[in-house]
Amino acid sequence: MVASVAGLGVAGYLTYEHFTSSSTLACSDNSVVNCLKVTTSSYSSVAGVPVAVLGLVFFAVMLVLQLPPMWRRPEPAVRIGRLAWAVVGLGTVLYLLYAELFSIDAICLWCTAVHVLTLVLFGTTVYATSAYPVLEDVDA
Amino acid sequence: MPSNRPGSSGSSPKKKPSTTAAAKKKSSSSERFAERQAAKQQAAQQARRARTRAYGIAAIALVVLVVGALVIVKVAGGGSGSGTVDQASPPAGTPIPAATLTHLQSVPISTFTAAPTSGIITTPQSVNDPALTADGKPDLLYIGAEFCPHCAAERWPLYLALTKFGTFSPDPGKIHSANEDGDVPTFTFYGTTYSSPYFTFTPVEATTNKPDGSGGYTVLQTPTQAQLTLWQDTNGGSFPFVDFGGKVVLPSAQYSFVPLQNLPFSAVAAQVGQNSTQIGADIGASAAQLISTICTSLSHDQPAAVCSAVHGG
Repeated sequence: MVASVAGLGVAGYLTYEHFTSSSTLACSDNSVVNCLKVTTSSYSSVAGVPVAVLGLVFFAVMLVLQLPPMWRRPEPAVRIGRLAWAVVGLGTVLYLLYAELFSIDAICLWCTAVHVLTLVLFGTTVYATSAYPVLEDVDA
Repeated sequence: MPSNRPGSSGSSPKKKPSTTAAAKKKSSSSERFAERQAAKQQAAQQARRARTRAYGIAAIALVVLVVGALVIVKVAGGGSGSGTVDQASPPAGTPIPAATLTHLQSVPISTFTAAPTSGIITTPQSVNDPALTADGKPDLLYIGAEFCPHCAAERWPLYLALTKFGTFSPDPGKIHSANEDGDVPTFTFYGTTYSSPYFTFTPVEATTNKPDGSGGYTVLQTPTQAQLTLWQDTNGGSFPFVDFGGKVVLPSAQYSFVPLQNLPFSAVAAQVGQNSTQIGADIGASAAQLISTICTSLSHDQPAAVCSAVHGG
């Protein structure tokens, strides 16, 4: 839950930066750590939707799925849905990481923070889902 | 295998006193059976949980391995998409057709001043810096980079404004910002000389649009120490940076480059002077602001025809 809240915060900042601030009409220096280069690249949006907004949606949904009452719910739909959502996040992170490293040739530290939080969420979700008893165990 | 069927306990029906004992024995047997069953189920459940947990840990480990492999391949100098950047474009750009330049230079200032300003995001800002001069004249310093899409957008109105006060020789060539940085068609000021009776123009294109193989772009021109200090003190060293004689600065591009992405140079040039299009309006309104700023900060409102047109005089 903490990772979801943190991710929501960082994704919110990136979304705010995407839609505001005249400083985004400038290119940063010529180095590998270059947030502007990443956030203004062609990979910064998918079908016209900013990736930052997609991140915001991801963390908002994940925050709901990570709430304690949701973890107490034994329905397979909730458990599998949460796991699937974490996998979606993981896939997106791997794609964006690949794009940063091999296509854009630059890394955005804010984006990296989002990636790390998504990986943490994936890890904790997978572990908690596998460690908690599944529905059939509860019935048994 | 134990059975809990009636009469299967093996006791004789004739021995009535032993009925209670038989029942006890039967009950005890059922309990042992239930316990064994429960133990079996618990063991199976634990095994299942252990197996699921192992899958989970394996999945996490796999992800860590994949991420680690990506980073290691990159650090070790593995593949890069940078090779797709326009390698054919020479640093000074390719020539722009004379008819296109004539069109750009002939758009009346009144068209620029009439352009909608809704797309303007950054406007020139007054500063109190020491006078910036060169060759005894006020200097217009531009620091940009050929890879940078915001610089690519800003060069359009800057070129239009400058041609109202002087001439380029040779004319700027056309380039585009790096493919992974917007692919915006534009001019380059590298390799050009500008002359005006009112002020000097000092363009610095810091890099080309060609990757240097280490995450950056190859260096093209290096600012002087004075330019570097001014640039970094004013806007932290981001591109583009325009300083109007130390009186006014433009710390970033005036409008968004997004509508220009992936268009050919000719398509953007054709829209200059057309205030009904987003691109034409953004470039025109930006040019009007720059002309006005040059009039007030660099050229002492000369030439009168230009400055009165932009100021509505």
